[in-house]
Amino acid sequence: MVSIKLRGVWYRYVGGNDWVLKNISLTIEPKEVVVITGHNGSGKTTLLKITSLIYRPVKGEVLVDSNDFWSLEEDEKLMIRRKVVYVHEKPILLKDTVLGNVAYGLRIRGIGNDELLRRCKEVLEELGIWGLKDFNAYKLSVGQTQLVAIARALVLNPEVLLLDEPYAHLDMKKKEVLTRVLSRRCREGMTLVIATHQRIDNTELSVSKTVTLENGELVNTYT
Amino acid sequence: MISDETIATILRSIYVSGTATLLATTWGIPTSYILTLKRRVGIVEAVIESLVGVPTVLLGLLLYLLLSSSGPLAPLGIRLLYTPQAIVLGEAILITPLMISTTYRVLKNTVVTYSELALSLGASKTQVMTLIIKESLPGVVASIIMSFSRALGELGIAMMVGGNISGYTRVMTTAIALGVARGDFEEAIVLGLVLLTIMVVISITLKLLNKVYSIG
Repeated sequence: MVSIKLRGVWYRYVGGNDWVLKNISLTIEPKEVVVITGHNGSGKTTLLKITSLIYRPVKGEVLVDSNDFWSLEEDEKLMIRRKVVYVHEKPILLKDTVLGNVAYGLRIRGIGNDELLRRCKEVLEELGIWGLKDFNAYKLSVGQTQLVAIARALVLNPEVLLLDEPYAHLDMKKKEVLTRVLSRRCREGMTLVIATHQRIDNTELSVSKTVTLENGELVNTYT
Repeated sequence: MISDETIATILRSIYVSGTATLLATTWGIPTSYILTLKRRVGIVEAVIESLVGVPTVLLGLLLYLLLSSSGPLAPLGIRLLYTPQAIVLGEAILITPLMISTTYRVLKNTVVTYSELALSLGASKTQVMTLIIKESLPGVVASIIMSFSRALGELGIAMMVGGNISGYTRVMTTAIALGVARGDFEEAIVLGLVLLTIMVVISITLKLLNKVYSIG
């Protein structure tokens, strides 16, 4: 199981003068449920993108199972990236059907059609959106788009799943469904990192750690 | 009835502007892609956008001076003035800023958005590239078609460096201009209608592509 450790991470966007993240050190152990909170602009999304190995820190290290991720060979990076999946706050869907979108990650992993369909059906049913499978992804509501993007991540059975504001556009019923699905996956051993400024239902998801960001600095860690 | 000469003029126009578009594509699309990878391109972007509206007669004049038998390229044996190749070159240069500008706008959004998405789902570098190409293709094709349309409809360059030689460098726009000057409105109107039809077809194609692009 993958553990991710950020050590003294600093980040600023190209062309920007201000540091978006300042000296962040954070460890995400296997099977943990980590919640990152903070106001808008506090650096939650950037922290998630660094933790999900998309952004490279300007300073500091990202250690995956004690190895400096950004010093690894490309094929090693790819192997790790395939275990760590990130879902954007404003998900981007491909110009395809819902099924085509959910299947994308499986296709690029070379999964055959039968297994691909079985896994897609399983996760779409789990989230209660199997009925949308043939819908054009560009015609979905924001909430449906978010669920499809989460389905596209869950179908890959990630070891670490990072969700940016997953509840932002969901109604109460869909929030409950999503929490139940995430909770089950976490019980099965998935590591979950959620960035949100909403309250997380601790009875369903047993949160291991809550991290609070303020102006790019880590101000609090509750275990 | 459309005369054989008129048909030849129509086909020559499509051939010349098509070749110019292909030529511009070979450098325009890669340049746009390189620009999307660069961080500070504000000035380059502004220069390219201002060149989109360069008057064709000005470009025609510059090319005339460059390609004439007493021009700087003459000692190198390059004498292209009053040849279809001169029009191809001129139109290719003319449409390059338009192609770069429109393609850059498509790629700028696609490259960042889809590379992050593909990486977040565990795509390899090749798969990231494939996804970017797939997602940006309709927009890039639309940009190429738009550039072709601009090349087909331009007059200044074709007149100045092509010379409007019957059966050799005469294209639709120069033939229309000549027809009006001579009072031969019949051919001018036929060619005008053909040009208009091609433009309408291009416009419909662009709209269809746009639909595909936004719906998938």
